[in-house]
Amino acid sequence: MKETVLEILKGVRSDVDFAGTDKKLIDDNVLESLDIVAIVGEFNDEFDIEISVEDLTPENFNSVDAMVELIKNAQA
Amino acid sequence: MALTSFYFLLFALAVTVVYFVLPKKIRWVALLAASYAFYLISSPKTLVFMVFTTIVTFLGGLYIGKKNKKHKAYLAKHGQELSRDQKKALKASVQKKKRRMVFLVLLLNFGVLAMVKYFRYYIEALGFADLSFDLGVLIPLGISFYTFQSVAYIIDLYRNKFDADRNIFKFALFLSFFPLLIQGPISRYDQLAGQLYEGHSFSYRNLTFGAQLILWGFFKKLVIADRAGIFVSAVFDNYTEYEGLYIIIALLLYSVQIYGDFSGGIDISRGVAQILGIELTNNFERPYFSDSISEFWRRWHITLGNWCRDYIFYPISLSKGFGKVGKALRKVLGDRLGKLFPVIVAQLATFLVIGIWHGAEFKYVAYGLYNGGIIILGMIFAPLLDWLVKILRINTKAFSWRLFQIGRTFFLIVIGRIFPKAASFGVAITMLKSMAAFNPGIITEGGIFTHGLSIYDFAILGLCCVIWFCVSLMQENGWRIREALERQNMLFRWGIFLMAFAAILVFGIYGPGYDAAAFIYRGF
Repeated sequence: MKETVLEILKGVRSDVDFAGTDKKLIDDNVLESLDIVAIVGEFNDEFDIEISVEDLTPENFNSVDAMVELIKNAQA
Repeated sequence: MALTSFYFLLFALAVTVVYFVLPKKIRWVALLAASYAFYLISSPKTLVFMVFTTIVTFLGGLYIGKKNKKHKAYLAKHGQELSRDQKKALKASVQKKKRRMVFLVLLLNFGVLAMVKYFRYYIEALGFADLSFDLGVLIPLGISFYTFQSVAYIIDLYRNKFDADRNIFKFALFLSFFPLLIQGPISRYDQLAGQLYEGHSFSYRNLTFGAQLILWGFFKKLVIADRAGIFVSAVFDNYTEYEGLYIIIALLLYSVQIYGDFSGGIDISRGVAQILGIELTNNFERPYFSDSISEFWRRWHITLGNWCRDYIFYPISLSKGFGKVGKALRKVLGDRLGKLFPVIVAQLATFLVIGIWHGAEFKYVAYGLYNGGIIILGMIFAPLLDWLVKILRINTKAFSWRLFQIGRTFFLIVIGRIFPKAASFGVAITMLKSMAAFNPGIITEGGIFTHGLSIYDFAILGLCCVIWFCVSLMQENGWRIREALERQNMLFRWGIFLMAFAAILVFGIYGPGYDAAAFIYRGF
């Protein structure tokens, strides 16, 4: 799953090295709201889940692992 | 009571003394009493509106909080027995009940805001302008700020972000905390409330850091913004008499004025709060260094931008309805534009709200649409721009490219500000047209120095802007100015403070009766 997530992220923001960065993607302003909407749309389509507005907290999008966790929870 | 008035400083000093004298447990009571006293002194006739919003939001919050708790308790007890679909159905039914309450609270709070802030405009627009009473004087202090805070609270409760506040007096403090009343920042419950309720210990470091922030705020407001404002007012108040460079310089100075005014005020508020041990959210992150309009709105009035993002942009762009329309449009407009559709709608709605937040007149709507329009056009034509960059072999990593982007963004921001500043949309257009006149003689022959600001005023303004720019540049490069000053020798440190203090006393603009000009954002 992590591979797919990384691929989606790369598709939205090709200028960011998601696998290598130590930065917090939201707190350090790497991702902006337009990116988040695009990413959530792709996640929903790819994993057949429903990520809602309530899930859009910085903690859920600060790292790739957090996003994987969010998807897993949405699938449960 | 203006933030830059002597009375406000006295008031803040008295609150600080009382706060730290009282036992820690009841220090929040001092803040509540001070906040209501501040309101009574500043806007006594309109206190009732804030009390109304406080009660409505508190009760609505209790209801939603109760539903959240009940739902959680039920799941803890019966969660194992329920299927995924049953859990979904249960959640949907609870959400429906909570949503009704959210709508009711929103209706009442925004209803009051619309009534008192926009009513006068509606009356005039409908042709009843000859009403013998003036509702303008009744605009309650801080109504946009505390209404937006209360709406954020109720929606966050709906989203189950935290438990409802169970003490109406403490909640009243959250909505009325006096440093926030004049012009924000729009603060979130989970970030601020705990800090307000907790009794903080006195800290010498907080005292000095807070005082430095206040000093810096005074410098930006009194020395820079109010000085720039003299020329700006001269031109905008008599716009028919000015053209060409006069308007261009007035617009440039207006961008200096509004930034100094608004961010200076926020610094004073943050400084007062810091002395009390309370950390307020920052509202500005050197916005003029932005390389795009969307970045500018992430750095300017950050708390309003974040509010719009969380409660307008995300809900619309992720809504199922717009998602479906977007999917249907993909067949007609192509994959990329179809996907962009919900985002474009959300972006438009966001900037309409940002525009209307400033006022009801069409010029504010135009201001919102101008900013939103540029961002949307940028999104739609992104592939074309990328192609151009490629064809022209532009090195986007080069410093010169970033400089160009910053300059372009600054230019667009400066021009756009003519809409909210001009008396009306029509006046803004007239001024834009008369900007085309070529009159460099006003500088070479000195005509520019005869409209409120002498050559010395321009020199002071220029020098102070350079100081401000250098400080901003240092901050942009990761410097923490106050921490850096803290490490310096006492003599040097105090030398800087005394010089800043003297500069404010000597070069500050003090209006008639030495009452500082009112903050621009106080009117919003």
